Amino acid sequence: MNDLMLNPAVHSPQEITWAAKQVREIAREKEIAPNTVLEVFEQWAAALDSRELREVPGLAFLRLWLRRGTLEPILLRELGADFLHGGWQEDGRARLRAFPLGVVGHWPAGNVEIQPILSLTCALLGGNVCLVRVPGGLVEITQQIMEKLQEVDRRGLLTERTFMASFDRSRTDMHEAMAQAVDGAMIWGGAEAVSQVRKLPFPHWARVVVFGPRLSVAAMDAETWGDRAERLSWCRRVARDVWQFEQRSCSSPQTLFLEQGAGCDPDEFVDDLRQALQEENRAHPRGQIEPSLTSEICLARALWLLEDAANRAVFSASPDWTILLGRGTEIPKPTQGRTLSVLLVDDLSEVISKFDGTVQTLGLAVKSAEREEKFARAAGHNGVDRVVKMGRMHLFSSPWDGVDLIRPMVRLVRHVPSQE
Amino acid sequence: MSIPVEIARGIESQLAAPLYGLDPKERRDSLLALLKKELAYACDRNLRFRNYAEHWPVDFHTAHTLADLPYLPVGAFKSNPPLALVNANEVKRILTSSATTGQVPSRVVLDAETAKRMTKGVTTIIKDFIGPARRPYLVIDISENINTQAEMGARGAAIQGLGSFATEVICCLRRDLGGNTNLDLEKLLDCAGKWRETEVLAYGFTYVIWTQLVQPLQRKGVTLDIPNVRVLHSGGWKRLEREAVTKDVFIAGVASVFGCSPDRIIDFYGMVENVGVVYPDCERGNKHVPAFAEVVVRNPLTLEPVAVGQRGLVQVCSVLPTSFPGFLVLTEDMAEIIDYNECPCGRRGTSFRFAGRVPKAEVRGCGNLETTRQKQGQGNGLHE
Repeated sequence: MNDLMLNPAVHSPQEITWAAKQVREIAREKEIAPNTVLEVFEQWAAALDSRELREVPGLAFLRLWLRRGTLEPILLRELGADFLHGGWQEDGRARLRAFPLGVVGHWPAGNVEIQPILSLTCALLGGNVCLVRVPGGLVEITQQIMEKLQEVDRRGLLTERTFMASFDRSRTDMHEAMAQAVDGAMIWGGAEAVSQVRKLPFPHWARVVVFGPRLSVAAMDAETWGDRAERLSWCRRVARDVWQFEQRSCSSPQTLFLEQGAGCDPDEFVDDLRQALQEENRAHPRGQIEPSLTSEICLARALWLLEDAANRAVFSASPDWTILLGRGTEIPKPTQGRTLSVLLVDDLSEVISKFDGTVQTLGLAVKSAEREEKFARAAGHNGVDRVVKMGRMHLFSSPWDGVDLIRPMVRLVRHVPSQE
Repeated sequence: MSIPVEIARGIESQLAAPLYGLDPKERRDSLLALLKKELAYACDRNLRFRNYAEHWPVDFHTAHTLADLPYLPVGAFKSNPPLALVNANEVKRILTSSATTGQVPSRVVLDAETAKRMTKGVTTIIKDFIGPARRPYLVIDISENINTQAEMGARGAAIQGLGSFATEVICCLRRDLGGNTNLDLEKLLDCAGKWRETEVLAYGFTYVIWTQLVQPLQRKGVTLDIPNVRVLHSGGWKRLEREAVTKDVFIAGVASVFGCSPDRIIDFYGMVENVGVVYPDCERGNKHVPAFAEVVVRNPLTLEPVAVGQRGLVQVCSVLPTSFPGFLVLTEDMAEIIDYNECPCGRRGTSFRFAGRVPKAEVRGCGNLETTRQKQGQGNGLHE
């Protein structure tokens, strides 16, 4: 493997500074067109279809993400058709062309296995070179995925533009060295992690984009969940959204708001939801759990039931899954770990009107297109950045958190021809 | 309101039974029967607790093992008002846990009966380890911490719990005018001089003993020369671990300043939510459960009890409290099960070793938000 590409462990800030210098030289010397990047990505996607990687969570999605069919429309929308071929785009009397920022640093969250790669691909598409800090728990998976890139990228077009390192989150000196070396940064993670990274001494020109921390919710109107024929399949969809990433992702539903209606029986709904969660648990059982998460799940169950004698809950004897059923329009404090609060409300509009910018994704299951349009508009007005069908809450796409994924890491240069 | 007679008799019977001598299965069976009655009583007395018990995956009335009964996580005792099974006018004292800065402490309410059982439980257990004799009691703390108050912290409760072994009580720490706590060396040396030939009991929180007694005495090169002392300590190792003080280093340090043998220093585990039960280390370094209690160590992945030699989350069980629902409490501590039947020290029943606090979560993720922006006063205000 290219030494520059993946160093599972680096030990000094000097190593990071040196690596940044190396990749910056490459950025200066070798321009890369998005089309070329897309070609390598396409081959990479094919190479990832291997038996040993099948169990990596999110890998099927990564393969799909790397396809030209996925990324080209994103590039077209964010930067226009001319950018694909490295050309200038007419803009009245002037013309525009995207250039890379230079060195982009990536601080992915530790909870999404493929996130270091997803973040990296966004900056590579902009023609940048990258420094990636790989969280300790993701080194092995990231290494496996990057080995596949190396197999297909025989000329080193992308691998030479990438330096990956893993170091402890407490190594402020290493984080600082990385921050000082970049022209742009993509930061992903929880409140504490993001706050720490944002405080790093980035150069004054560095463009910093933060994804997260956010939380997400789902909502069903009475017509949808009152429909017995469809209810179980909707429950399976929300169960899938709950299951992925242990509910630690910003796109994970923490609460499901159920709009009450005539003939809607919450008990029947909870029965179906229980069945869906049990099925998901059988299909994707946990291999391990942090004891602190077990404690938090047990506490969430107890506090919910002790808080109000009218509150109800259904949960497994293990910490595998939990449904907390009650009434209310406020989003309860998220527990994560497959703990879904199901809150009955009279009107979904009331819930959406209370969103305050914390909610990233609203997963919807609404029968009437007219009502859905109304909800989507209200959600957008109240800070929600994604309104999607329930069951597709984690489908990574651009924009994310209301921000384009590629455009923030490029500079748009305006050229007004002098002979005009 | 007094508890049903059959529950009162059941508790008395467990308290009177051989402390560590019962057949483990018989003990578990009798505890199971009594705990079921206590849970039913608690459900009658507290609707919120009943709501919790009724939603438990196993109906406690028909549970076959103690591990199937509904347990409360220790964080549930942080609620305000505290979880209670008695009326406000029956509350004699409120015990609070030793929460670190910024944390909310647990609060448990004691009525006269539960307080009496608490004292009896602790006394019976400690007696088994240090003998029944009364002796001078050296408290490694300030006197303010032992004053009887309506609300009492874990330190005060532990100090008072050992009071029945005392002929006299001497506190060897004092608070100066600046509010700092330091050692009253003159008083301590005066007592040590009188106690050279005497059986003495000393107690303090582990980190208090280390930072306020051992370190100052070591710095001054003073040895107290009280060879017949029994030093009991509790409160956990978290703070000392941060200073890289291991259990062996602690024991060696304490033994050297008291001039006693290391086996006279006994660590015990206890918590205010598990009133009346403490778990001292036996001479083999194991902790034991008395006749009126049980410990279940649960696998964090399944919450099933672990096998011998495995680690998990500690659940403590006790039949003693009837003023609050602290019968079955899932703690935030980890332990390893040493045996379910017998220890080489001769004590029967479950034996375990404490393995530290539950470690803080390593990965929180991009969905880690404690609260909404609005609750932080940072909402976008669009809807306001």
